[in-house]
Amino acid sequence: MDNYLLSLIQLCDSNLPTGAFSHSFGLETYIQEDRVFDKKTFSNWLKVFLEEQLVYSDGFACRLTYDMLEEGRDFQDIWRLDRMITMQSLPRETREAGQKMGERMLVLGMALYDFPELSLYKDRIDKMLSFGHPAIVFAMIARHLGVPKFTAMSTFLYSTISGLVQNAVRGIPLGQTAGQQILIESQSHLVDAVKKIDSLSEDDFGVTSPGLELSQMKHERLNIRIFMS
Amino acid sequence: MVNWTGILNLNVEKKEDKTITKDVYFQGAFKIMRPAYLDKTGQACFYIINPGGGYLDGDRYSMSFTLDEHAELLLTTQSATKIYKTPNQPVVQETEILLKAGSVLEYMPDPLIAYHRARYKQKNVVRMEKGSTLIYTDIMTPGWSPDGEWFSYDSVQLKNEIYMEDKLVVFDHMKLEPECQNMQGIGQMEGFTHLGSMIVVSEKAASDFLDMLYETIDMTSQTYKIGVSSLSIPGFTLRVLATSTQQIEEIFMACHRLIRANWFDKQPIFLRKY
Repeated sequence: MDNYLLSLIQLCDSNLPTGAFSHSFGLETYIQEDRVFDKKTFSNWLKVFLEEQLVYSDGFACRLTYDMLEEGRDFQDIWRLDRMITMQSLPRETREAGQKMGERMLVLGMALYDFPELSLYKDRIDKMLSFGHPAIVFAMIARHLGVPKFTAMSTFLYSTISGLVQNAVRGIPLGQTAGQQILIESQSHLVDAVKKIDSLSEDDFGVTSPGLELSQMKHERLNIRIFMS
Repeated sequence: MVNWTGILNLNVEKKEDKTITKDVYFQGAFKIMRPAYLDKTGQACFYIINPGGGYLDGDRYSMSFTLDEHAELLLTTQSATKIYKTPNQPVVQETEILLKAGSVLEYMPDPLIAYHRARYKQKNVVRMEKGSTLIYTDIMTPGWSPDGEWFSYDSVQLKNEIYMEDKLVVFDHMKLEPECQNMQGIGQMEGFTHLGSMIVVSEKAASDFLDMLYETIDMTSQTYKIGVSSLSIPGFTLRVLATSTQQIEEIFMACHRLIRANWFDKQPIFLRKY
């Protein structure tokens, strides 16, 4: 058994208290507009969210962080990426979700593991020089644990997707079994997404789709909200 | 060395109460007329002209605008930007903007029309000094094709990078590739045809401005869809999905009117083009 396996499962566990359970990333807007209401409509949204947003933002940031650490690049490059991933999120709630979840995962990581990248990052956030983002923290921890790059990328995306599925189960609502079926069906999309991320160049960073972004902006003014984004 | 199809460099400054040309240079497929003064505020208005009427395969355009301290500039185009089919090389347009302290730039180009099989890459980099204001808009139409089919272009990529005192504060990246995306599906254009974006960065943007915007513009209309959100520094982004250029222009106009009245004590402005 790989030494990292159990630690990686812990890192991807939806019980990991990063606050992911309170963010829908615009899904709640679609639920209230009655555009997402069952397993099929949710699966469709999830696929678009993965392929049109996560691939170019969080997923790409995870890969870039991993590459930078692997190549022993100057940390300034990672701090620059932290700013880019934060500023490419124009909807305020999504941007703040990244910061909050990033910092919580960072603090947790520091309580579990002891390696310098995490405390450097935390120090910069405390000094308001950096913002914090789960994709960057995840890549740091995964690499520290010796998780290979492709495994790190796919498990990072998996943890994001499985968090959203759980939120959909509560928010739409969907049956627990339907949720698990969606997760199984997402596997091939995840594999494709990882391949796509690996083929991206810097020019592709941060592409967003108009509808996804708009729904994240509109979420701020929904009358009833069970999610923070 | 890059061979530019068109180059346009403009530097304006404030002399007494008026913004005037300090330096202007254009070459190739770009032209700019002498400034117009549309009201009594001294703000200069320039129209960018593309005498050829459209962007062709492999064209490369470069623009740079510098606003000296407290200069006020309204920048627009004379007509829509048309990008014809690009069988070999995408059309590229790169714009660098420098806004010195206290300057105000309103950059509101006409809509973008990408024709059948066109590829277009646009990048705007705006460097702002503290106390400057940027109001930027763009409108993407579903393009044009001989058989009237929408979204028949290959790709349109619009990138905006805004730096405040050398720090990245906005990174806006849209890339529409109709062939690889379900344009009418959820998350994309969602049944609409036109996409409008407005980015405003200004110290004058108080947090209650969005509330005012919500009171002014009908956000619940079913004929268009609006999202608006605050940036990490004072300012906001507004996105509109709609079915015509005119709808988007009306919303931008309402927002623009609110900004001019509340922040600059200026009357609304009408761009006289036709």
